Amino acid sequence: MSEPAALSEDFDPVLLAVLSNRMDAIVREMTNTLLRAARSAVIAMSRDFSCCLVTGDGRLLASAEAAPVHVFGTHLQAQAMSELHRDLREGDAFLHNDPYLGNTHPADHTILVPVFCAGEHLFTAVAKAHQADIGNSIPTTYHAAARDVYEEGALIFPCVRVQREYRNVEDIIRMCRRRIRVPDQWYGDFLAAIGAARIGERRLQALAAQYGVPMLKDFVAAWFDYSERRIVQEIRRLPAARLENTTRHDPIPGVIPDGIALKVVLEIDPVAARIDVDLRDNPDCLPCGLNESMACAINNAMTGVLNCLDPDIPHNAGSFRRLRVHLRENCVVGIPRFPHSCSVATTNVGDRLVNATQSAFAGIGDGWGLAEGNTALSSGCAVVSGRDARHGERDYINQMFLMGGGGPASPSSDGWINLLIPVGAGLLYRDSVELDEQKYPILVRSLRLMRDSGGAGRYRGAPGTEVVYGPRQRAMRVVSAPDGWCTPPRGVHGGGDGTPGADHVLHADGRETKIEGFIDVELVPGEYIRGRDCGGGGYGDPLEREVARVLHDLRERWISRPQAEAIYGVVFREEDGVLAVDEAATQEARKRLAAARD
Amino acid sequence: MTYRIAVDTGGTFTDAVVADASGILALGKALTDPERNFTGVQAAIADAAAQLGRDPRELLAATDVFIYGTTRATNAIVTRRTARTAMLLTEGFPDILVYRQGGKLRPHELTVDYPDPYVPRHLTFEIPERIDAEGGVVTPLDEARTRAVLEELAALKVEAVAVCLLWSIANPAHERRVAELIAEHLPGVPYTLSHALNPVLREYPRASSTAIDASLKPLMQEQLRLLERNLAASGYTGELLVSASLGGVMHVEDMIGRPIHLVKSGPAMAPIAGLSYAALEELGEDVVVVDTGGTTFDVSLVRNGQVSHTRETWLGEIYTGHLLGMGSVDVRSIGAGGGSIAWLDAGGLLRVGPHSAGARPGPACYGAGGEEPTVTDAAVVLGYLNPAHFLGGRMALDPAAARRVMAPIAARLGKSIEDSALAIVTVANENMIKAIQEITVKEGFDPADAILVAGGGAAGLNILPIARALGMRRVLIPRTAGALSACGALFSDMGGEAGASRYATTAEFDFAAVDALLDRLERELDEFARSLAARGLADFSRSLAVEARYAGQIWELEVPLRGRLRTAADLAALIEDFHLEHERVFAVRDPDNPIECIHWRARLRAALPRGAQRPLPQGRAGALHARAARTAYFGLLAAAPHAAAVFHGEDLAPGDRVSGPAIIEEPTTTLVVYPGTTVTVTPYGHYLCALAGPAATDAQGART
Repeated sequence: MSEPAALSEDFDPVLLAVLSNRMDAIVREMTNTLLRAARSAVIAMSRDFSCCLVTGDGRLLASAEAAPVHVFGTHLQAQAMSELHRDLREGDAFLHNDPYLGNTHPADHTILVPVFCAGEHLFTAVAKAHQADIGNSIPTTYHAAARDVYEEGALIFPCVRVQREYRNVEDIIRMCRRRIRVPDQWYGDFLAAIGAARIGERRLQALAAQYGVPMLKDFVAAWFDYSERRIVQEIRRLPAARLENTTRHDPIPGVIPDGIALKVVLEIDPVAARIDVDLRDNPDCLPCGLNESMACAINNAMTGVLNCLDPDIPHNAGSFRRLRVHLRENCVVGIPRFPHSCSVATTNVGDRLVNATQSAFAGIGDGWGLAEGNTALSSGCAVVSGRDARHGERDYINQMFLMGGGGPASPSSDGWINLLIPVGAGLLYRDSVELDEQKYPILVRSLRLMRDSGGAGRYRGAPGTEVVYGPRQRAMRVVSAPDGWCTPPRGVHGGGDGTPGADHVLHADGRETKIEGFIDVELVPGEYIRGRDCGGGGYGDPLEREVARVLHDLRERWISRPQAEAIYGVVFREEDGVLAVDEAATQEARKRLAAARD
Repeated sequence: MTYRIAVDTGGTFTDAVVADASGILALGKALTDPERNFTGVQAAIADAAAQLGRDPRELLAATDVFIYGTTRATNAIVTRRTARTAMLLTEGFPDILVYRQGGKLRPHELTVDYPDPYVPRHLTFEIPERIDAEGGVVTPLDEARTRAVLEELAALKVEAVAVCLLWSIANPAHERRVAELIAEHLPGVPYTLSHALNPVLREYPRASSTAIDASLKPLMQEQLRLLERNLAASGYTGELLVSASLGGVMHVEDMIGRPIHLVKSGPAMAPIAGLSYAALEELGEDVVVVDTGGTTFDVSLVRNGQVSHTRETWLGEIYTGHLLGMGSVDVRSIGAGGGSIAWLDAGGLLRVGPHSAGARPGPACYGAGGEEPTVTDAAVVLGYLNPAHFLGGRMALDPAAARRVMAPIAARLGKSIEDSALAIVTVANENMIKAIQEITVKEGFDPADAILVAGGGAAGLNILPIARALGMRRVLIPRTAGALSACGALFSDMGGEAGASRYATTAEFDFAAVDALLDRLERELDEFARSLAARGLADFSRSLAVEARYAGQIWELEVPLRGRLRTAADLAALIEDFHLEHERVFAVRDPDNPIECIHWRARLRAALPRGAQRPLPQGRAGALHARAARTAYFGLLAAAPHAAAVFHGEDLAPGDRVSGPAIIEEPTTTLVVYPGTTVTVTPYGHYLCALAGPAATDAQGART
């Protein structure tokens, strides 16, 4: 294995710092533009989008604050653009949502703008945003039951030119307006993404004018080498290991009655400074919407790895030279065979992949890796649609973001409360209840974190969330495909599992109906839906948890007194009306509980 | 002879600025006493009085305006020394302060604990009631259960209560009734109601501002009253004014009722100072203002003569801190300053910050035990700082220590000590450039045409290369740069704002309803104007603005109204103004889409008496002479030694020109004049530098 070049004499480390900051600043400005200008809540409120910069020859360069699931793999899309369009020129923009050609899943409309500097295609500015609707056969962007792309029904754009000379190709806009629900909302989001990519274009051109094209090219090479050096150093401190882990996506009655068994094999080679993830020993593509796209299979495995490495390492084509993900054709976590549907590629099976990979790392030993995080994309994150009687029976459709999603515990911290799901990585914003109620004719009845739902451990998984909401004047359709209702997030090294998710329809007469796997229900006024997502898994033995943390958890109602006593083995006493820990009795109780296990 | 005094209590220093009708006369400085606030205030005033040859008591007796700014509210929040506060929320929604609004900076960082909410969950209580989006009552307020909660609060000995119920902005009846019950069950305990403090849509920002405001009430009310008494005992007979987050000043009584406005007190005044200096020197109305301290670098913006405001100020880091939730002057702070520590990461890249040596032990050259190289150490190595004349001679620096701690990094970089010091300053510049870009280009503002006003003790070290990298052509360093916030307070106005939320779409605009609402807001301001007039103020200006968005958008843009909206032509003007603003900020417009108006605001400003500044006498009797020369290092990537002339500010007069390489030393700041640049002393005695446009050499000033 060759060593990455030492910090090259001919590229100054100071300029390297300067230019890498400038690239990140451009991505942040693109991100802000898209967030503020977008129309749908899923983008503007929840931030389900990402921006990044790719080099002209298709290598990921900069992705400040972007969602890993969106950007790792963007290079495939940029490469497709160059291969399909030999007549690229300034003023072009492309719409790409084709999961068979490098995109994540059809709901992620990606805008690619080739950026020309001194006549050369030097960069591609990319803005990818999850749409509120894409014209599927049912009103959701996650069609888990779709047997193939035809039943899924999405309009697929295999990197199609949507602007030339900075003007819209109106044919394409008209097609979208005919087939996408609430077309003005889609068009507003389209404009916002174009605006973001054009801002990136302007800034890159200004940078090239200031520093010159040759210097920017040298910078790119030096930055990739630096990033590679960082990950090499990190991998060299890991022990050599071959780690296997299995997991299972929960059943969806009528779609995947037995669920989907998954296997991840990790090889860490500190001498060669390389990590390999092998996903080839997995089932063939399935006749449902849960197949991973190639981009998702790669980036979800990589996310699991990167979650366990130093987060300060830059994530780009340079550091990725040391990570390899092995895929095969026609595999549910591999390269999808057309026309299998990848409608739900970014979440469900993807979340299981992230979890299985990061918890496989825990196999190195105590102190490594992570527990598992929430996998239930509950009705708190469903796509809701209907008519709004308050505004002249106007149509609405959008994805809600009222979940919490318990994060996994780590070797040094409790789980993150707003994780959402592992692929969301905590980056997404939450909806405001008031704004949701203003924009859509719904009433949210309650929204709270659930006590005792995080997996116990030396470090505790984050609690899950329960949300209850329903329609006000008219019926409302609610569609989602939550995993995690049978198999909850697992703890590691003696840490407990989180609680599983659960979704119920609450009828006006007080009855409750449990929904299994795939949610597609119509609620009438007076009915509510209750969504519970999973608590995160715990890390390490709960009997080793610092007693101060247990006391804090009890006071703050994250755990109940019975759990504090029976699972954590902490004994309390009252001191002037204030709860305190009885240290001596706690030591005894913990010894007793440990002995009772053997 | 009457004086105006502004005092600003910072974390380390308390500044006092004394002015009269002819302008600023003296700038006093003293160490802040965290235990007894008035000690620092008194000492700073005494320092200024001594410069004027006056007795402090006489000076205060002859003063008719006294403005106070303080970072103490922010410090109380950061150090968790606010009141024991209870949060009352609508039943079913107890976790608003825990969830915040989601989001995270570093996706792969899963090894940090989730931060605690502003009010702990064990002091958060659910109130049975519910109002819907249109203000209708879904569930009536359950008074019996509310009383039971309040009894529990009494038993828990809470010191303040925050109340934020869902949709209280559409129907405040339940919040008002809860207030009556609080007064009954917890007499004397201060409380804050969300609809009264901050009537905005979205429960998290509203709840957060309500909690912060309530938690500050006991402490800040006591502190301001104490200051009032101490000033009276020291001879001051006038009214106490306090500088507020919105960039104006408030009467102490008003501030006591809404102490959340103290949170940016102090820093919010910096852009006012920047604008005033720029206006005085006729340098335009687009101003970027920076204030560099030992540990923080603050940036703010003035656009078309208007100070930029924001509703997204976080206390602590974005997403994980606490959202102020209220409008305030947009001051962005980053942890960067003279104390920022330089280090090499695992890949060999030079990094500066975010760790800081702080005030203790401080940079190595302070000789107080600092063992890591900082930006100040680099400035000493490069000859920018005078070891014998630091802080006007208040402190001696140890240049040998600065070189010693620089050596390990120099060895690993394979560079000389001076080249390494230059690299540290360049990378530190980059952090500051990024902070300025965040508030300018990211908000659709090109800094190239604006003037950069730089304040703070450390601003003059590196501001010229920073300006150059941003393509900025003019930089003004006020002679009083060391006390920018206190100076700003002397230029500020009394400000008042009335606001309300009401949805109106341009597709079917309800002229009558909007006009009635604006009427109500204007009447609220009339009342405020009358109270100011009773206090002798007469110079008022008013403005109206709306926060609006394209139909279906989520985030609003603020657009000033040209006047009331009564005719189709008025509306057409607003629509065009919105399209223009949207295109400027977001690069696109959507001309066929209706516009939704959400929040309406009316603002009133009343100018305080401040007299007219007179220019200083021009010219000098003899030739300009440098006091000394010392070796200073400049360059892009390699440091070249230059003989830099050293000037003392007191020797310079309007019209003087100082060409780099040179260094100008003032009692509270140092200005490094880079090679190839020239600084001119302005008619009012400040320093103005004109720069050429951007160049590839921008990372470190001019080519050498």
